[in-house]
Amino acid sequence: MLEVHGLTAGYGGNPVLEDVRIEIGRGKLVGLLGANNAGKSTFINCLSGVVPASSGRILFEGEDITRLSPKSRVERGIIQVPEGRLVFPDMSVRENLLLGGVNATARPRRAERIDYVLDLLPRLKERIGQAAGTLSGGEQQMLAIGRGLVAEPRLLMLDEPSLGLAPRFVQYVFEIIDKLHADGLTVLLVEQNLNLTLRHSDYCYVLERGRVVVEGVSAHVKDDPRTKSAYLGL
Amino acid sequence: MDELLQALAQGFLVGSTYGLLALGMGLIYSVSGLVNFAHGDFFSLGMYLCFALFSAFALDPYVSLVITLPAMMLIGAGVYQFLIRPIAGHHLLMVIQLTLGLALLVQNGILMVFGGQFERTPSIVESKLVLLGPVVVRMPHVIACLASFGIAAALYVLLRSTDWGRAIRSVHQNAKAAALMGIDVGRVRMLTFAAGLGLLAIAAALIVPGTPMHPSLGLRYTVITLIVMVLGGMTNFVGIMLAGLVIGISEALGTIYLSDMLGMLMPYLIFVVIMLLRPQGLLKAA
Ligand SMILES: Nc1ncnc2c1ncn2[C@@H]1O[C@H](COP(=O)(O)OP(=O)(O)OP(=O)(O)O)[C@@H](O)[C@H]1O
Ligand SMILES: [Mg+2]
Repeated sequence: MLEVHGLTAGYGGNPVLEDVRIEIGRGKLVGLLGANNAGKSTFINCLSGVVPASSGRILFEGEDITRLSPKSRVERGIIQVPEGRLVFPDMSVRENLLLGGVNATARPRRAERIDYVLDLLPRLKERIGQAAGTLSGGEQQMLAIGRGLVAEPRLLMLDEPSLGLAPRFVQYVFEIIDKLHADGLTVLLVEQNLNLTLRHSDYCYVLERGRVVVEGVSAHVKDDPRTKSAYLGL
Repeated sequence: MDELLQALAQGFLVGSTYGLLALGMGLIYSVSGLVNFAHGDFFSLGMYLCFALFSAFALDPYVSLVITLPAMMLIGAGVYQFLIRPIAGHHLLMVIQLTLGLALLVQNGILMVFGGQFERTPSIVESKLVLLGPVVVRMPHVIACLASFGIAAALYVLLRSTDWGRAIRSVHQNAKAAALMGIDVGRVRMLTFAAGLGLLAIAAALIVPGTPMHPSLGLRYTVITLIVMVLGGMTNFVGIMLAGLVIGISEALGTIYLSDMLGMLMPYLIFVVIMLLRPQGLLKAA
C-alpha cells in the first residue's frame, strides 16, 4: 500500500533522515521505533507532506505522491494523528471531529463517521460540547484519534499516541489500535514504547539517527541486539 | 440631557463603524498572527476609490461598492501572496516593518494621484436626517451602524457554524494541525487577508458620505482600529464590536463636554485606563 524509497529529509540543510526505505502492506500494523530525536516524527511528517523530502520517492497505492500537497494526501486517505495530539483547544469536541472530516473525500459521509467514532470512543460523547482544551490528556488523545478516524483513513499514522498518558489510558489506546487493525485498517504506529509496540505490531522498523538499523517481523526485532543499542544510543 | 443623548447616539453610530474597521484587522490577526499597520491606509484607499468613481462616473458610494469590494479583495490577495507570504515566518519585526512600509506606500500613492487637499464624496442620502425623539442623527450614520452590526452578526455566524469559519479558526489555533486536516493553510490566510480588505471596502463606502478625506488620515484610522481591536481582546468579535462602541461614545462625549481637541484624545485615555484594569480586553478572549 505504501512504499518509501531512499527518503532523505531535514531542516535547513541539516539532514535528519537518510536513505530510509520502508514498506507497509495493506491491512498491516507496522511499528516505527526509535529513541528521542531519531527522526520518527520527521518521517511521518514527510509522509503527510508537511516536511518536504529532499530526495527519494513515496508511493501510495502505486501512485508517486512525493510532491503532492498535504491536502491532496489527506484526500487520498493518508491521515496523521500528530505527536502531542494538537487538538484545537478553543473548539468543542464536536467541532474538532467536524474538522477531521472537512476534506473533500470525507466530507460527504462525515455525519456517519462521527457517529461511528462516538460509538467507538464513548468518552467523547459525554464531552461532546466541551472545549477540547479542557479535556484530560487521555481524553485529548482519544479526540485526536477520533478526529483522524472521521477523515476516513486508508493509512492511519499515529505519532506516539501513548506519550505522557497514565498506564490505564496507554492500555486503552492500544486496545483501540488493535480493534482498528482487526477491522482491516492499515496503521503506522510511531512509538518509543518498545515492548508494547512489538507486542501489538506485525512488522517493525527501528530508526537510529535517521537510518533504519533493524527491521523485521516484530518477534525478531525484539531479539535483535541492535534494537537495544539503538535505544541506548550505544 | 438632550445634549447627552445626542452625544451617546452619535458615539454609538460612529463607534459601530470603528468596530467594523477592527473586525477586518482582527480577522487578519486571528489567522496570520499579523497586525496590519497599513490597515488605516487601505481604508483610506477604499475611500479614495469611492471618490474616484464618483468623480469619473458620478457613482454613489453605496453603488460603487460593486467595484471597490472586489478591487480591494484582489489587492488584499495580491499583497498577501507577493509581499507578506514570502516573509511569513521571519522575525515579527520584519513583518511589522513591511506593513509600515505598505502604509507609507499607499499614503504617498494616494497623495500623488489625488493631491494633498481635503476631498468629499457625497451621496444622495447624505443630507437626510433621522429624528429619534429628541435626537437628530444623519442618515448615512444610521445606515453605517445597521450595516456594521449586520456584517458583524453575519461574520459571527459564518465563523461559528460553517466549515469555512471552522477552517479559519483552526488555522488560528494550530496551523500544523489544520494542515493535517487537509486545510490549505496558505490559501486560508490569503483569503482572510482579502476578506479583511473587503471589509475595509465596505466600511469605506459606509463612512465616506459626508466624511472629509485626506491622504494623511490613514495612520489615525490605524491607531483607532488597533485600540479597538486590543480593547476587544484581539480575536473576540463580540468584544471588538463592544470596544468600538466604547471608543465611539467616549470620543463623542469628550468632544461635546470638553473640547474638540480633548475629545479626540478621549479614546486613548479610555484605552489606557481599561488596559490597566483589564489587560486581557473587555471580554475574555474567545
Ligand atoms: N521543525 C524543526 N526544525 C528544525 N529541526 C527539527 C525540527 N523538528 C525536528 N527537528 C530536529 O530533527 C531531529 C529529529 O526530530 P524528530 O522530531 O523527527 O525526532 P523523533 O524521533 O520524533 O523524536 P521524539 O521521540 O522526541 O518525538 C532532531 O534533532 C530535532 O531537533
Ligand atoms: Mg517525535
